Amino acid sequence: MLSVINLTKKFGDFTAVDNLNFKVERGEIFGLLGENGAGKTTTLRMLATMLKPTSGTAVMGKYDINNEPEKVRETIGILFGGESGLYDRLTAAENISYFAELNDMDRKSIKERIDFLAKSFGMEEYLNKRASKLSKGMKQKVAFARAIVHNPDIMLFDEPTSGLDVGAIRNVHDFILDCKKQGKTVVFSSHSMSEVEKLCDKVGIIHKGKLKDTGSIDELKRKYENDSLEEIFMRLVGDMNEG
Amino acid sequence: MKARHVWIVFKKEVKDIIRDKRTVITNIVIPMILIPLINILVGGGVEKLQRDIEENITITLSETSRTDEIKNLVENEIFKDKPNIRLVDTDNPIDAVRDADVRLVLDFDSDYKQKLTEEKPFVIKLMYDKSSTKSEAAVSIVSQAINEYNMRLVAQRLTQRNIDLEILEPARVEPVNVAKEGQGGNMVLMMTLPMIIAILVVVGGIPAATDLVAGEKERNTFEPLLTTKPDRASILMGKYLTVTLFSFVSIVAIGMGFVIGYIINPNSITMGTGEQLTGASIPPLALVLSILITVILGMMFAGIQIALSAYARSFKEAQTYLSFLIFAAMIPAYATMFTQPADIKVYVFLIPILNTISAFKMVLGGVIDYTSLLVALVSSIIYLAITLAITASMFNKEKVLFRS
Ligand SMILES: Nc1ncnc2c1ncn2[C@@H]1O[C@H](COP(=O)(O)OP(=O)(O)O)[C@@H](O)[C@H]1O
Ligand SMILES: [Mg+2]
Repeated sequence: MLSVINLTKKFGDFTAVDNLNFKVERGEIFGLLGENGAGKTTTLRMLATMLKPTSGTAVMGKYDINNEPEKVRETIGILFGGESGLYDRLTAAENISYFAELNDMDRKSIKERIDFLAKSFGMEEYLNKRASKLSKGMKQKVAFARAIVHNPDIMLFDEPTSGLDVGAIRNVHDFILDCKKQGKTVVFSSHSMSEVEKLCDKVGIIHKGKLKDTGSIDELKRKYENDSLEEIFMRLVGDMNEG
Repeated sequence: MKARHVWIVFKKEVKDIIRDKRTVITNIVIPMILIPLINILVGGGVEKLQRDIEENITITLSETSRTDEIKNLVENEIFKDKPNIRLVDTDNPIDAVRDADVRLVLDFDSDYKQKLTEEKPFVIKLMYDKSSTKSEAAVSIVSQAINEYNMRLVAQRLTQRNIDLEILEPARVEPVNVAKEGQGGNMVLMMTLPMIIAILVVVGGIPAATDLVAGEKERNTFEPLLTTKPDRASILMGKYLTVTLFSFVSIVAIGMGFVIGYIINPNSITMGTGEQLTGASIPPLALVLSILITVILGMMFAGIQIALSAYARSFKEAQTYLSFLIFAAMIPAYATMFTQPADIKVYVFLIPILNTISAFKMVLGGVIDYTSLLVALVSSIIYLAITLAITASMFNKEKVLFRS
């Protein structure tokens, strides 16, 4: 469903992402685990076609990020960062439908889709209220709805829980699991071991732009003969620091 | 770039901005109300001041000059056909001037009568208060009236001696106005309107530009937007067109303001100076060229604004960068406020902002040089192309767009 091939990004002389390779199957959740500055955001931005890779590529569903960025964007939905931004002066429905329109949905399907999402997220009450009038929790739901309004096959989350309180973090986790349930392929980045352990089918440990190791959590635990993801992580990162 | 996507972005941005009451008030409502208000207030004030100065000039005599003879001379000889100059009685003439009860005190030489019969000059002192505009203005009006009295007296004396009056005028001055019709008119408009137009066009898009890129980055809506289907060029174009639109919204509002002011009080448009707005004297081609130059200036600055807004690290930083543009517009605008259209050098038309101001000065002044207008037009188009290329490259520079 999603394969990353020799993906590399340099900013000037600095290599932010160094020759990344991994695959994610349909309906899987892939966690990109790494410290601050490891290259998670840069990787996800390349997958989302915001940044052009210096070399290498990725195939998202059927489309190559270098050759068909528009098709790729149609295939993906993103949620970057914890606090989700909305247009304050637009209503919840307008916020969602703007992104639907941009993704070339027609009027009728936009309406149906918004009705459906409003029901499933419980947003009917405030669908026509301006975003500035909504509570944090309501805004979060609108942002979720906006991210999947065009029913993308692949979802990209970049540290979606950073800076959020416990309740909001739970909502994000539920949303990610929901996406999986709907058969979407999910890539999400985090620096929290427990989060990754809770949600992911597979993890990739990224450090200083390099993918240190990748596999299912069980595989990694077996491979490193250790039951703690945190210790595995520290070992991989430590190795890296020595080398 | 797809027109459909550009339109979706444009539509949304306009809707979004129009819902911002502050922008609507500063960009549309204020110019529409302020212009007629200023014109009517200033205009009304100027008219009234003019009337006050010229009408109802009260004068009085100094204590030593307060004789029936002098009163008679003043009322029935010197100012006999000056109904606007009126002699009044006061107890303390000097205090009366200082208190603005009268404009002037006239003080005659004590031996004036003897000198008058001997045909020797005598002195009339005009005592005025320099701190009062009306008192000061009365000096020249009253002096003028006394001059006319002098001339009448001289004529009388020469006639008695059988001397032709022409002896008084060895050379006669005759000014002839060779200006084409309409030239030199609309002085007030020529000074203010080009300046207002240039400033508004340069400044008008600032709130929109700040909000549309830097604001979007700050709100965390920029990344989701960039990952929707449209390519970056479409998104940029939609935003660019929105900023361009708002660059001109204020101008249109100002124009409506002038119209409203004109309907309320036709004199207000030239601020009560009594000059007539001679629409017929404006050549349509020059006007069209000037409007074109203005539109291009607006488009160019919309590009600059978007580029700066994209370059800024934060909303605050964008506001700072963009506020420099206000100075960029104000300085040349004020510096050339008093420049006369005929004095403008051709090279000035190569300079953005100044070219627009100069073009409108020409049009309003009626002194039109088509070479200059063409220079302005062609150079503007070149600047616009350069600016848009820079803006587009800014929007594709990852370092700029995604720096944190
Ligand atoms: N636009 C950019 N220009 C230059 N350097 C960048 C840019 N974006 C990220 N970097 C650098 O690349 C490295 C990886 O950053 P990032 O992908 O944001 O890491 P993470 O998301 O894992 O914290 C960091 O050292 C960061 O400073
Ligand atoms: Mg990051």
